[in-house]
Amino acid sequence: MSEQTLTSAAAARGPLAMEAISLSKDFRIGRGHTLHAVRDVSFNLYRGAVVALVGESGSGKSTAARLLAGQERLTSGTIRLDGKQVQVSSRRDFRQYKSEVQLVFQDPFSSLNPIHTVRYHLERPVKLHQRSANVSQEVAGLMEQVRLTPAKHFLTKYPHELSGGQRQRVSFARALAARPSVLLADEPVSMLDVSIRLEMLSLLDDLRQRFRLAMLYITHDIASARYFADEILVMYAGEIVERGPAEEVTQLPAHPYTQLLVASAPDPDNLGSALRGGSRRQAPATASGRPQNLDGAATQGCPFHPRCPFADDQCRQEDPALTQISDTRGAACWHLDVAAPELGSGSRGGGDTTTR
Amino acid sequence: MSADSAASSAVDPAVSRADGRAMDRATHRATGAAVGPAAGSSLAGAAAPSSGPVLDIRDLSVVYRTPAGDVRAVDHVNLVLGAGEVVGLAGESGSGKSTLAYGACRLLRAPALVTNGSVIYRGRRVSRPADILTMRPEELRRLRWREIAIVFQSAMNALNPVLNVRDQLLDVIHAHLRMPRDEAHSRAASLLDLVGIPRSRLRSYPHELSGGMRQRVMIAMALATDPEIIIMDEPTTALDVVVQRDILAQIVELKESLGFSILFITHDLSLLLELADRIAVMYAGQFVEIATSDEIHREAAHPYTKGLLNSFPSLRGPRRDLAGIPGSPPDLRNPPPGCPFVPRCGYARPDCRDVDMQLLPVATSRDPDHVTACPFVLPDTPAPPVPPVASGSTTGELGT
Repeated sequence: MSEQTLTSAAAARGPLAMEAISLSKDFRIGRGHTLHAVRDVSFNLYRGAVVALVGESGSGKSTAARLLAGQERLTSGTIRLDGKQVQVSSRRDFRQYKSEVQLVFQDPFSSLNPIHTVRYHLERPVKLHQRSANVSQEVAGLMEQVRLTPAKHFLTKYPHELSGGQRQRVSFARALAARPSVLLADEPVSMLDVSIRLEMLSLLDDLRQRFRLAMLYITHDIASARYFADEILVMYAGEIVERGPAEEVTQLPAHPYTQLLVASAPDPDNLGSALRGGSRRQAPATASGRPQNLDGAATQGCPFHPRCPFADDQCRQEDPALTQISDTRGAACWHLDVAAPELGSGSRGGGDTTTR
Repeated sequence: MSADSAASSAVDPAVSRADGRAMDRATHRATGAAVGPAAGSSLAGAAAPSSGPVLDIRDLSVVYRTPAGDVRAVDHVNLVLGAGEVVGLAGESGSGKSTLAYGACRLLRAPALVTNGSVIYRGRRVSRPADILTMRPEELRRLRWREIAIVFQSAMNALNPVLNVRDQLLDVIHAHLRMPRDEAHSRAASLLDLVGIPRSRLRSYPHELSGGMRQRVMIAMALATDPEIIIMDEPTTALDVVVQRDILAQIVELKESLGFSILFITHDLSLLLELADRIAVMYAGQFVEIATSDEIHREAAHPYTKGLLNSFPSLRGPRRDLAGIPGSPPDLRNPPPGCPFVPRCGYARPDCRDVDMQLLPVATSRDPDHVTACPFVLPDTPAPPVPPVASGSTTGELGT
């Protein structure tokens, strides 16, 4: 893969924090079948920057996060944290690793223990990861950081007494209790009301800035990634099919799958849309069909070819590698010239439109 | 108790309207099939108010009785659902949108209590309009699912995990329609065809289906009895965007060919703008604005609607500053006087506390049916200054 020559759009924000190098994860699923959940995925996380991993359910984005969090064993590949290869062989190693890398889950309703108070949820990680800290002072500080104020009012509450947004704030605070350098956020806002999502994303953004967190933002909502992330990685069937600066990827998607994702997002400005007309929108790719590696045997060719309008024999035979489009952009497609003629062939200047 | 108070409201003797409605439906369907997507929206806007209502919710109130006092979840609301119309019910969690829909169908149980109002149903198959709230149990049984079906949010919880798809469909068919066994079997199969699931899936159990397929099975179950109204309670919230779009397109297709009406409940206003003919925005148990999707999109009048519109990041067009709606909804046990949105409203002024939340036409709107509860803010008032998202600046403290 030519990824080594690609510069991450997130690199400008800060020093390298975490490297994922050719990560792969296979799951054995009965009768000798293997599911290739993550295939040869590489990316870097930088302090103070957000990298978004975008894809539909089953694309392997959550598995990638679990690999980075040390919750799944790698089938192959290397993870480096601050330049050192991560080797977790004992509980102590794992705890140390956890104090650097924290995961926030999607569902604030099931990720908090219903029989414990907010105080318990926050005191425990503080005691575990910061031996010398003044626990109650630290907890109060955390509550302040996630804007659950007045802290006294919330500390004695149980999860069922909190709203979804408040629960997710507790999850954020819990993750921050370890003082991590890397935060992996797995769909942190998709269970919340639309009206609250922005507030939560802006809180995450605030935390990113204040703690110089290297953040991986996993989502199926590519529109939120446009606003929140520096770099977008689009994942399909376990592979990264497109990557680049958030604004460029969303405004001029190169890969047919990214084009499908962009076309599927609700578009309030398109009021005479196909939806209300009753006929199905002429999407650039067919929306039906599942990622093809779910049926066990590794599919031949490009994983997206069964749903792709540009697919031909080459696509059915060989899996395309990530081709470089610009300094910061790449896409894995044989027919980029047809799929995204606007992009030209590999000579687009890395336009810096991603200033937030 | 609920029946007593509800009975006091008069039943509308709209006998003649039934015929007119059938006509409306026919023309609506014919044109709907003929016009392309571009003309679709104008059609929807024009046809919606003129067709007679299948469901007429009047002055409905629902409270939850709690030891700490009544929670006024739905507070004197009026809503009309026309034949073949898609009405979107938008609002945050806890705004009362589900309570309103379930209360109108008498699906709530204690401590929820319908304290006021009437829900007039006029369907093709019923001879005269009837008030759902005063129906006898056997009438209600005939109405449910046969006339009004529901697609629930969580398909995994709504489907029975120990029955396969065919048995779940047969269950619905046998419970509500008189039909010989083999006919019911072929109906179950054709229902799956309708929602685009291969017939081979009839023997699958819910856990063997993807989230999108489960939701399609739910839709098939709702369609089983050819209902007049389908209430959709966040049917696609748990799905990702590609599947969501596919299912919504399917719902609209089915609606056009089968001619039912949809009450679509969601917190995602961007979805409704594309899908619904009319949108009713709910806040703290009351409607704050009702208008066609186009009107809401073009000139939303109520600050809350504007807030919702400014809550979702857009993919297309220039990046705009997004605000969201800071704070949280009021405690409905003890609602504040006047407009309940005041604490979160960027435009709030002292006399907002005296607003009586009457829905009045928006003066500047071309559409007389565009109503809002906010008498002060005009559509073209610029948005109040709020810190944009993702700018790194600290937004306001949580409103607690």
